[in-house]
Amino acid sequence: MSEQECEENIEGFRRIIYGFPGEKRYIIAIMHELSRCYRYLPRAALELTAEYVGVPFSQVYSMATFYRAFSLQPRGRVNFKVCDGTTCHIKGSNILLDEIYKNLGIGPGETTADREFSLETVNCIGACAIAPALLVNERVYPRVNAAALKEIIKEYRGGGDNDHHE
Amino acid sequence: MKLIIDGKAFNAYPGDSILDVARREGIAIPTLCYHEAFGGQGSCRLCTVEVTAGGRSRLVASCTYPVSEGIEVKTSTPAVEKIRRNIIMVLYKRASGSVLMQKLYREYGCSENSLGEKQEERCIVCRLCVLACEKMGTSAISTVMRGIDKRVGTPYDQAATACIGCAACAHICPTGAIEVLDSGNIRTIWNKNFNLINCERCGQPFATREEIDYVSRRSGIEDAELCFCEECRRKKLVGKMQGFSPC
Repeated sequence: MSEQECEENIEGFRRIIYGFPGEKRYIIAIMHELSRCYRYLPRAALELTAEYVGVPFSQVYSMATFYRAFSLQPRGRVNFKVCDGTTCHIKGSNILLDEIYKNLGIGPGETTADREFSLETVNCIGACAIAPALLVNERVYPRVNAAALKEIIKEYRGGGDNDHHE
Repeated sequence: MKLIIDGKAFNAYPGDSILDVARREGIAIPTLCYHEAFGGQGSCRLCTVEVTAGGRSRLVASCTYPVSEGIEVKTSTPAVEKIRRNIIMVLYKRASGSVLMQKLYREYGCSENSLGEKQEERCIVCRLCVLACEKMGTSAISTVMRGIDKRVGTPYDQAATACIGCAACAHICPTGAIEVLDSGNIRTIWNKNFNLINCERCGQPFATREEIDYVSRRSGIEDAELCFCEECRRKKLVGKMQGFSPC
């Protein structure tokens, strides 16, 4: 995906939205694509989507707030998902949340001012055997503790995307 | 077909819900989220009844359960009473500020428990307002979020461009949860202010400009015909009819 294609302006929104058929059933698909490009759903893009598929804006907004997968706040380049399912919770997911707050100053649902890091909790990622688990973008980190988390943040800081592990 | 309700047989037609038949026959089933304009939603579950079909009985929401041959309905059994009491208890705890819910809570004899009460809240999220707004044709409000955070609101909780200030949402709300403030010639609803226009006959403020424009556009009735309040419109009609001679 080129930089130009993800420009956060009405031109960029049009390029994405008009790429789908203008039908109601494509709303979710459009939202996924917008999320992928902008890491959140910009208001103007949602308004354009509503107009394009011919659905009231309130209903599009309703859908956008219904699904946890979508965010109305910009997420960071590096998105931490701390698993807070039963097992991870018992194994100390709160330690991870505290540690992230201490290092980055963000709580669940928040993004750092420079849009580098964001944090959310998820209910269960189905990785109880390696609890407490942490998802950084799409990568899973097993049995994370405070010290390991510090290292992880260090790896991603300053543009690191940890590609060498892929 | 015949539908048996509380031991008596009544006529029912394909497409009827149990509640449709009961209402037609004057059998009382309590409801909160039901309105004849929209049909059953099955969201409040207060209209729960016991249905016996094929030797098995279960609890269903009568407003959405379609009638079929050979089913038997009981509108009041210990199981039904218990579940209705629970529904009222939970809805009251969620919307303790509502006078209606306070009244029902007492009437149903709900027992005390440690569930917290939301004193400020009056909304039971029955969605009638959302349906009314949709039916009016502007869809300015919708439910936002989900689960325990679910509520009714405008996009981003800001004044909605689509809102015409008709207050249909407030009018239909069973628990009086929607704030509409008419002060002088200003109506405030959903964080948006509207100018009210005065009835051309009695001079009372009665509707918003946006509402009249909208109704005029949709119905094809001229603006001038709509500039009367409900009562004056009725009086005007009576005046017209007096001019007619019976044939």
